Amino acid sequence: MTRDLQHAGRTAVVTGGSGGIGWAVCQRLQQEGARVFCGDLTPSTEPLPEDVSYIELDVTQEESIQALMQTVQAQTGRLDILVNAAGIEIEKTVEETSLADWNRIFAVNVTGTFLMSKQALSLIRVGGGGSIINFGSYDGFIADPGLAAYCATKGAVHALTRAMACDHGPENIRVNAICPGYIDTPMLRSFFGSSGDIASLEEEVRRVHPLRRYGTPQDVANLVNWLTSDEARYASGQLWILDGGLTAQAQQMQL
Amino acid sequence: MTDRLVGKTAVVTGGSRGIGRAIVDRFQSEGARVLTCGRGRRPTDLNDAVAWVTVDVSVSTAVEKLADTAQKTLGKVDILVNNAGIQIEKTVTDSTDDDWSALMDTNAKGVFLCCRAFIPIMAGTGGGSIVNLGSISGYHADPSMALYNASKAFVHGLTRSIAVDHGAEGVRCNAISPGWIMTDMADAAFDLADDPQAARDAALARHPVGRFGTPDDIASAALWLASDESSFATGQVFVIDGGLIAASPLQPGLF
Repeated sequence: MTRDLQHAGRTAVVTGGSGGIGWAVCQRLQQEGARVFCGDLTPSTEPLPEDVSYIELDVTQEESIQALMQTVQAQTGRLDILVNAAGIEIEKTVEETSLADWNRIFAVNVTGTFLMSKQALSLIRVGGGGSIINFGSYDGFIADPGLAAYCATKGAVHALTRAMACDHGPENIRVNAICPGYIDTPMLRSFFGSSGDIASLEEEVRRVHPLRRYGTPQDVANLVNWLTSDEARYASGQLWILDGGLTAQAQQMQL
Repeated sequence: MTDRLVGKTAVVTGGSRGIGRAIVDRFQSEGARVLTCGRGRRPTDLNDAVAWVTVDVSVSTAVEKLADTAQKTLGKVDILVNNAGIQIEKTVTDSTDDDWSALMDTNAKGVFLCCRAFIPIMAGTGGGSIVNLGSISGYHADPSMALYNASKAFVHGLTRSIAVDHGAEGVRCNAISPGWIMTDMADAAFDLADDPQAARDAALARHPVGRFGTPDDIASAALWLASDESSFATGQVFVIDGGLIAASPLQPGLF
């Protein structure tokens, strides 16, 4: 049977596009027919597929974002999908977190999401609307130990997502956040590495998931693809937890 | 896209009309073999390729027979959608014992009975996906819908338990929590108002996307959750409501 591409003719910008999740999102949207601009501090080490362009981007710098939007405008004249996947993690408690740490993680995770969205709106309006995906985290609902500032940034992204959905829904701009649980990325491996032996931790982590595995960047890209497609045209203002059942389970009651 | 459920089999309860029918039609058009059921006779306008069983899901022997028929007709069951549900527009003090039985037997016990009957069938073939129909009323009470609201909160809770208890057997379980979807049930709710048209207008103004939902919006979400694309999603309640509950009910612009 033939299959229509879900994003044919659309333009997408993915921040953090060279990272684990961002790269999977770039590939998935490209496979569905989108022209994808992959923004990041450095290019992916993997070769770029056709219809994916790398653009150097620092989401904390408004000029950098404006330069990216100008390139998109010049090349496709429109923007249909914005995926704010750029994010960093700092593995510290509040007491260990310096003010510089705090400001840096908020600059990337929160200010970056704000600035990208702000600068993208006029281009999104060109096509009569579009879809913005922010990256929250299950850590915005329940805390992982030693990730204080990270958890706080994700809570901020969740609230910003609802606010943007309210403000821009009437313009046919949908805004949702994806809140991944444990996804196998370099960021997760770094978190494990700071907590001891990776092999034994991995087994333990699988065991606490009802599905007995942790997620892959493709799992997340699948959800980005659905939420940005026309099939999800009534979905807006929501926080989409994708975690293999982790937060459905009360962890003190493992049998 | 037309082939996302090829090779899969699905049982959808309450498929005679409304959201259930939209799910049946969508699954069928995506290549699944579908069996649906309801308390009445086979609807004359049901697609010939869809199997029909007349059954009351609140009766345990009838549900066991349904599971048996489904297994014989379809060979296996990969997908179960617990959509059958009723609503009674009353407060607690107005509700009779018979109201309780009618509503809870269908909306709560029916979901329990179907899950109990179909989980072993799914687990026996390596797993499957259960999609329950919850409601935003399971989070926020609709006035004069006391037992209905409570029954949907039950569905949300049971969804998490099934995900946690049966994830290791490969069974995923999620709920969709629709907002205002234009069906006969929604019309009945609006008709409770002194001025149903004013109630509709006021409700519409609270939807950031500027419209009410359609059964097809929910079918799209059910399709995603039934497909392998969502293989890391379990134990969650996904709200599809056009942004309604992301927004505060107290919006000065509305008064």
